[in-house]
Amino acid sequence: MSDLALEHLTKIYPGSETPAVEGVSLNVESGSLTALLGPSACGKSTILKMIAGLLTPTSGDIRFAGSSVLKQPPQSRDAVMVFQDHLLFPYLTVGENVGFGLKMRVQAKAKINRAVGEILELVQLSGLEQRKPSELSGGQQQRVALARALILRPRILLLDEPFSNLDESLRLEMQTLLKSLHAEMKTTMLFVTHDQEEAITLADKIALLLSGRLRQYDIPQNLYNHPKDREVAQFFGARNFISGRVEAGKFDCPLGQIVLPENAPADGRLLTIRPENIVIGSNASSDNSFPATIASKKFLGSQTRLELDATGQELTVLLSPNIAESLQAGTEIIIQLPRQSLWVLP
Amino acid sequence: MLSPALLIVCGLFIGGLALGFVGSLGYMPLIGQETFNLDAYRQILLSERFLLSFLLTFHIAFTSTVIASLLALGAALILRQSFLGRSVINFLFQINLTVPHLVGAVGILYLFSQSGVFARLAYEFSLISKPSEFPAMIFDPLAIGIIMQYVWKEIPFIGLILLANMQTIGRDYEAVAQSLGASRWQSFRHVLLPLLMPGLLTSGMIVFAFTFGAYEIPALLGQNYPAALPVLAYQAFTDVDLNARPEALAMAMIIALLSAVMIYGYARFTRRYIRK
Repeated sequence: MSDLALEHLTKIYPGSETPAVEGVSLNVESGSLTALLGPSACGKSTILKMIAGLLTPTSGDIRFAGSSVLKQPPQSRDAVMVFQDHLLFPYLTVGENVGFGLKMRVQAKAKINRAVGEILELVQLSGLEQRKPSELSGGQQQRVALARALILRPRILLLDEPFSNLDESLRLEMQTLLKSLHAEMKTTMLFVTHDQEEAITLADKIALLLSGRLRQYDIPQNLYNHPKDREVAQFFGARNFISGRVEAGKFDCPLGQIVLPENAPADGRLLTIRPENIVIGSNASSDNSFPATIASKKFLGSQTRLELDATGQELTVLLSPNIAESLQAGTEIIIQLPRQSLWVLP
Repeated sequence: MLSPALLIVCGLFIGGLALGFVGSLGYMPLIGQETFNLDAYRQILLSERFLLSFLLTFHIAFTSTVIASLLALGAALILRQSFLGRSVINFLFQINLTVPHLVGAVGILYLFSQSGVFARLAYEFSLISKPSEFPAMIFDPLAIGIIMQYVWKEIPFIGLILLANMQTIGRDYEAVAQSLGASRWQSFRHVLLPLLMPGLLTSGMIVFAFTFGAYEIPALLGQNYPAALPVLAYQAFTDVDLNARPEALAMAMIIALLSAVMIYGYARFTRRYIRK
């Protein structure tokens, strides 16, 4: 069942001619963890603020469980937002910060205290109720911000790049915490990120936004392996694009005829394969095998990048440094494009 | 780098305070008094005139500060919004910062005294039968004219500090509060106001200290008895009888001490009130 639906949502800021968000339609399933992914200034946070009621859409509709919420003020929407900068109230203690929402709902003090204790235990911050936010680490502050939102048990939890200010290890820790909180509370969560790895790791589904438009909304595996178009593929790191056309289950291009997977689109004009999926040193007579010359080699740490020239077609390959050790620029090799790793784009 | 400036400021401040304190203890070799005693303090603290002056001065300072702070907060909240003509209103709001207190006082005198413009207008429109029936707002026991002058002058001062604070704070904290279920009033009361408190307190304290110790406005617009404390101290200091000078200096010392104590008390009171 759809918990949140965006219908042709558009936002044009006053004084701007270009829409920050244009015609975005999206159905978020109840209890799911969905990522709004995209580069900076693509409209991700604007969408979140419109859902929270902090911004008014120029056109379109926002529905919670089928009912439009456009006329409801933020405090009545039951959608709580966690901001990138956590924004804890500096003059309140941790306990007061976490209990803020319940206090605004005029709950009894004893009930607030009990709920604060429970939620702080859930985010592993028990015993820190009396501390001020300035006495906490960055990770602890973000946990408090999460607890402050989760204590209200909102219908929808909106997270605006919640972990982007944290260092790598803290970010991983917080991602694990968020995943476990989601599993336990089953709250519908929509989080904004520009980090594709974070989106793939956390989300049940990813909505990719580019220049204010929704480009693909799908499970992470499909966005990664079956992108809808060249821009989506490029956003997820695809570098190999071969022009040609599909004919009878094969892709006809300057390299030759490439056998496609059975589920490949039948009318594409661009073949793509991820750099890490190209196989080096296979038998020249096997399917989809072609001769190539190594144009350059670059050590990247955990991987080595090879730039290849395959009959005039430039291809990029990513290999483990151990495998790439014996390969040098100028060496002629055989590459294979495994059938199941190929995808055809419009 | 700061030493020369600090030397001048501290030298003049501490030096003046020390000289005044010594004089308040009765040490005046000029008229043959070379011993230290607390007679001047004793006489002042036991006099009804001093007590009434103190109450009047406190009333002027406290009322002016509270009214100016509240109106400045309201004005800052309005000027924070975007609306047509905002820059013009903002300019008009700040313009009286450049007008000296004395000029403002003359304006108040000209407008609100029983022979002023409003009294004459009221008489012309038969609202009163003679100008003396116009409510006394100048030289009056409640010091309405003095308070009006201070409020008029201090609103933009406090307002500008609050506006700058609001710009620094931004609107994200209020957005968080609203997202957490706070109404607009609740997000003002529980979020914006506490965040503004340091600025509001600081500017309020400056206004309180200034109005408590200022001489010229109460001298121009105030009644003779009881007079505001600085006026009383000045009268004693310029008395032809030099024996009155230790009392004047003791009064000045007491004004300084009371200012410090009341600023502390005002800060504590306001902080506690806001945190409730």
